[in-house]
Amino acid sequence: MALSLFEGLRFKPGKSFVHKLDPRAKLLTSLLILITAFMYTDVVIISILLLLEYVLIRIAGVSGMWLKTLRGALPLAAIIFVITFFARMADKGVAFITFYESFAFAYRLVVFLSSFSLFFLTTTPEEIALTLTKLRIPYQYTFAFVSAIRFTPVLAEEMQSIMDAQRARGLELDKGGFLQRIRKMIPVLVPLLVNVLRRSYELAEAMEVKCFGVSKNRTYLKELRPTGKDYAFTAVVVVLFAMVVVARVFYIQPALHIFGLLGLLS
Amino acid sequence: MPAIEFEHVSYQYKSGVKALDDVSFTIERGELVVLMGENGSGKTTILKHLNGLLKPTEGRVIIDGTDTRTATVAQLAAKVGLVFQNAEEMFFESTVRDEVAFALKNFGYSEDVVKRRVEWALRFMELDAYAENSPFILSGGEKKRLALAIVLAWGPEIIALDEPTIGQDSLQKEKMAEMVRLLNTQGKTVIMASHDVEFVADLSPRIILLSRGKVMGDGTAEEVLTDVEKLAKCSILPPQVVATLTRLQDLSITRRTLSVEAAAREVVEKIWR
Amino acid sequence: MPIIEVSSLNYRYVGQRDYVLRDISFTVNEGEFVLIVGPSGCGKSTLCRCLNGLIPHFYEGDLEGDVWVAGHSVRETPTHVLSQHVGMVFQNPQNQLFSLSVESDVAFALENLSLPREEIRRRVDEVLSLLGITELRDRSPFELSGGQQQKVAIASVLAMRPRIIIMDEPTSFLDPISSLNLIETIDRIRKSLGLTVLLVEHRIELAAPRANRIIVMNDGQIVYDGNPAEFFERYDAHSYGVYVPKVVRLAREVNKHVRLFNKPPLSPEEFEERVRMFASHRV
Repeated sequence: MALSLFEGLRFKPGKSFVHKLDPRAKLLTSLLILITAFMYTDVVIISILLLLEYVLIRIAGVSGMWLKTLRGALPLAAIIFVITFFARMADKGVAFITFYESFAFAYRLVVFLSSFSLFFLTTTPEEIALTLTKLRIPYQYTFAFVSAIRFTPVLAEEMQSIMDAQRARGLELDKGGFLQRIRKMIPVLVPLLVNVLRRSYELAEAMEVKCFGVSKNRTYLKELRPTGKDYAFTAVVVVLFAMVVVARVFYIQPALHIFGLLGLLS
Repeated sequence: MPAIEFEHVSYQYKSGVKALDDVSFTIERGELVVLMGENGSGKTTILKHLNGLLKPTEGRVIIDGTDTRTATVAQLAAKVGLVFQNAEEMFFESTVRDEVAFALKNFGYSEDVVKRRVEWALRFMELDAYAENSPFILSGGEKKRLALAIVLAWGPEIIALDEPTIGQDSLQKEKMAEMVRLLNTQGKTVIMASHDVEFVADLSPRIILLSRGKVMGDGTAEEVLTDVEKLAKCSILPPQVVATLTRLQDLSITRRTLSVEAAAREVVEKIWR
Repeated sequence: MPIIEVSSLNYRYVGQRDYVLRDISFTVNEGEFVLIVGPSGCGKSTLCRCLNGLIPHFYEGDLEGDVWVAGHSVRETPTHVLSQHVGMVFQNPQNQLFSLSVESDVAFALENLSLPREEIRRRVDEVLSLLGITELRDRSPFELSGGQQQKVAIASVLAMRPRIIIMDEPTSFLDPISSLNLIETIDRIRKSLGLTVLLVEHRIELAAPRANRIIVMNDGQIVYDGNPAEFFERYDAHSYGVYVPKVVRLAREVNKHVRLFNKPPLSPEEFEERVRMFASHRV
């Protein structure tokens, strides 16, 4: 389950309108969705946000992965629901409004997790790195981020190979109690750590001969160049957000209005 | 009963890549067999089937009469000692002695048996002087020998080696060839994956030739390594002696051999005539 | 004119008692292809590090003697300056590529040196096509074969336009066909750019016929420096831990019957040439 949550954060290559958008425009969109979800505990508004996300996800053609993120977020949402429910129950009692608010809290979490999955699913790690650079994050950190992405599959392969090798030496990783199993990870983790250290040493050597960190004003071969589409998209997003803010100022809460009309809030 | 039987084995990785495609062969006890083929031809995949790390998607693998699907990796590993290509990167204990003892403990041997076997294996691989050293400070060649000692200690009938000569210099390779021969003469079944043509030619084993997961040839080293056309089809460079003779075929040099002496005789006879 | 001058070089790593390099002296002329061989642990890799400034700038230790490379004293020149004269390619292809695309990796050093963007683009295009890997431009290094990764590593170094390239066992993780392909590529680029190449390699049968000089090391010292064929003719290469190519043994064996070879051939091609010359004289 937890793993499928991360599935939704992995880049899936594509050539859609959403993939080609400037990553900053997408990051802004994700952020504004997040802020909106924080401002409102209104199921109708949150549903509209989810619908907007869904439209973009469909355009990007990554709905399968996105649904996996949603599913992965469910256990977390359930926990939020239970906690909120018990907390609210104390002062409001077991009423419809308690159920409703707990549900809205959990729902909100799903929405903002999925909003970041929209960003990560359609943005290459390289674009993310460029975005970090544009945000004036020092290059060392950007480099660390890129190498983390670069070496994750390498390490995963290495770990698999070490596990195979130790199983060939009679180690039964899936046998025994919880503590025993943890002890059995030592023959896997020690070589992995030793290899990581050796690898970082070799990498440092290679970075040194490739002049890493020599110039204060590093050039970036690739740059982010926003086009008319990016400005138009950002404009639409900002206008929508402005409407949301205005609505919040005037205390418009569609769900509560509806419930009120139905007489559920008495 | 044969030591190893592959019956129409196919193996497909989760990614959909077909690593083995209808592979069949039988290896008798005491044989010395080398799997040859370019990277990605399926050599390592076959070795991982021997101790059940991988189970065939189709077909059967039978080790010493046991279908690998009915046994655990630990049960099979007791029969098949698999030395990984980078086995020296899998050490984790603080002494060479403990590194060898680890597997023996996993297999449930009593303390005095463990002790006896560790001593024996280290002596056999000429590592007894380093028993109390950290495995990490051994030289490259010593690490390779330790990897072998680890496996020999539990006395498996079948020894499987994945690219034992990679990154080794010529002296270390000679030592490795010597060890392999010694094990084989002691009655062990040895199966090895290697693309080191000259090393294999000197060892003169039975060769199973692979390309893209299929068996392309199976015979003596002399037969397989002199078939230049087939080697080319499998992206393998022929041994230098064979390559040299092949260049001179129009001078009626027709003999194909791995032996330097025989090749020299052939050249002298046909040219000096 | 010498482009590399090493005189009375001694070196030991910090905290070690024994010197890894002992009294090393040699010069290399511009355009030479030097093969460096010797058993593992003989000091080959350490010597490479002394030539591109990793020693003494990255590794600490005791360094004695002088090393001049492309007119720079290695001791007094920072690594990033030396890197633009001496390119270094390491053994493990996986650990010298940092980026998520081939293009970024080739541009990496140039970006660090803050060259103008247009210049970087031009050089990247140039080296990718020189190595014949233009079509790999957008691929991730992780998905490439070892041979392709090593070509990317070479390209990323060549982009700095060094006059010397040092390679430390670049084929040891590759299969024979990819090794041959890589060594042929190195030889081709060397000729077209007029580069000086120092290649540490244990696949002697592939490298020796293309090199014009061989330096044999043993236990931290240079034990032979000269023509490769002469080395195999005069010395018992095996006792220095150097692999004797089968074609050399074949020629020796033929010579026992008929003295056909004055100097040993280093490749099947050279063997063939000599035999054909002999055969045509006899007709």
